[in-house]
Amino acid sequence: MEPLAVRSFTITSAAGLGSVHTARSLREERSGLARNDLDWAPLDCWIGRVAAAESVSLPASLGAFECRNNRLALLALEQDGFLDAVASARERHGAARIAVFLGTSTSGILSTELAYQGRDPATGRLPDAFRYDTVHNLNATTEFVRRVLGITGPAMTISTACSSSAKVFCLAERFIRLGLVDAAVVGGVDSLCHTTLYGFNSLQLVSTDICRPFDAARRGLSIGEAAGFALLERGPGELQLVGYGETSDAHHMSAPHPEGDGARRAMLDALARARLSPADIDYVNLHGTATPANDRSEGRAVHDVFGTGTPCSSTKGITGHALGAAGITEAAIALLSLEQAFLPGNTNTTAVDPETRCAIALHGEARKLGRVMSNNFGFGGSNCALVFGKAA
Amino acid sequence: MRIAIESVGVLAPGLPDWDGAAAVLAGRCAFAPAPLAPCAPHCLPSSERRRSSPTVRLAIAGVEQALSGTAIAPQDMAAVFSSTEAEGAITHQLCEVLAGSREVSPTQFQNSVHNAPSGYYSIAMNAKRGATSVCRGPWSFAAGLLAAAVQALADEVPVLFACYDSPLPPPLCDVMPIVEPSVIAMVIAPAPGPATLATWEIALAPADGDVPWPGWMPRAWHANASARGFPALATLCGSAAASALLPLSPELNVQVNRC
Repeated sequence: MEPLAVRSFTITSAAGLGSVHTARSLREERSGLARNDLDWAPLDCWIGRVAAAESVSLPASLGAFECRNNRLALLALEQDGFLDAVASARERHGAARIAVFLGTSTSGILSTELAYQGRDPATGRLPDAFRYDTVHNLNATTEFVRRVLGITGPAMTISTACSSSAKVFCLAERFIRLGLVDAAVVGGVDSLCHTTLYGFNSLQLVSTDICRPFDAARRGLSIGEAAGFALLERGPGELQLVGYGETSDAHHMSAPHPEGDGARRAMLDALARARLSPADIDYVNLHGTATPANDRSEGRAVHDVFGTGTPCSSTKGITGHALGAAGITEAAIALLSLEQAFLPGNTNTTAVDPETRCAIALHGEARKLGRVMSNNFGFGGSNCALVFGKAA
Repeated sequence: MRIAIESVGVLAPGLPDWDGAAAVLAGRCAFAPAPLAPCAPHCLPSSERRRSSPTVRLAIAGVEQALSGTAIAPQDMAAVFSSTEAEGAITHQLCEVLAGSREVSPTQFQNSVHNAPSGYYSIAMNAKRGATSVCRGPWSFAAGLLAAAVQALADEVPVLFACYDSPLPPPLCDVMPIVEPSVIAMVIAPAPGPATLATWEIALAPADGDVPWPGWMPRAWHANASARGFPALATLCGSAAASALLPLSPELNVQVNRC
């Protein structure tokens, strides 16, 4: 494929508001995770909470969209000059020639969970003030962001669990290549809620310890919340999307293929599209959720493609697992690593599981990187690998 | 953008298959509502059929119809699923549990994701190409069709597209009034072949007011994004109109013209 320019990007997670703070956390290997202090979900675990989002208020004209997910989305949009970058793209192309494609797994479900706690005991009715379409439907944040940005081109949400906000890059590339739009805002937003905390816990995938991806002693994931965005445009750029691959495991709804077959095919598809060989990739940002099965499966797949010559790390020890926003979180980290010539480490991990076959970079280091891959995999066996590059 | 429609599957109360739907869409038969029997798709292995939700079985039963009308193997197709809400019944069950004991069923949780039908479908068919799950609220049919058409043409692959809606229980149906099931599934190819039903020219068009619903359609279906697809299917039926508008947003429609 022809590379697409990444004109601007931003990420907000427990690791920091915006790219500057995120990059600092990565360099200092400082985790944004903390013991769960949510009084509304007292589960014994660690979380990646963006407390600053809780005091954000939405513009009065968009009051119907008020919920944790949209507050987090707005907080993220306001970082790194992203609003200005989109305004400038709107000037160049026109509002109708830009798309908005966002990923989420649970949207503003927290509002529905709270509405269920407030049901009328006699009738079972939800509180009168509760709005569903602008708060919880998976379209809610996409429509909110589209309106904040003043974009009128095609918009949609991709919801494929934890690969959601990686797959939006693929959708955008196809729309731009076929000439339906000239640019696209892609990204993802997922926020803390009861459903994912207690749901992943029911599958025994949430660790009571801080998450330690690929550690021999890993016991599961730490859930985080995050919002991030990227502006993609046709043409050359300093930072570029150069390839992507999407596959299905066709194996199990919630467990990965033991040998990482679908993950391997997604990485090979991404390399083929980018017309690159494995040796051209300088760093792989792993999905690395820190569940025993996920990391074993991904480590095998990455080893099958890259052997032990390519440094790899999971940055979820810093950000937590942002689920539907994991794709954009790690795409942004991949872009930061290219932009700032820095290879992120695999924070919280002390002894790499000997069953991990790929080359885990335990600690970060300054290193000039030309091309990096970012992996994301989700329930339903949904796999996506992205390749980003820096202009020589 | 020009795409080929290879086959169609339809499930809705009173429209149990594509032939039945085509007769109504062409005006040869009056629409007669009839309850839709619970779906039991043959392709799901019994273990997966047990674990899956009624919504998954509904979507896959519609898909099965479309697949039976084409010689293209599902293993060669990419897939795009879209839905207004996907698993509203499970959302209700989870929210009830979370407001009480918080002892969530792991199977319920894994079935709650919007891409559950595409996950079960890929397992049932051993379909290993990329699969996507799209939501655009009430405009999910146009969004899913557009994503599917774009993928077919950009990657030059056949694409299975399915838009489905499954009823929500009270009290959720008070705020998202989906009360009837409906599915439209189709196999799309990047170029016509020997068994192509028709080719469609698809384009984005600025919206000019609300797009009217077909007169024959029960009002209760208007909450279903998938029901927005029937005017597009009508273009495949000889005597009906050759073009259709599918709303994508307040500002934008997808226009479908039969070539």
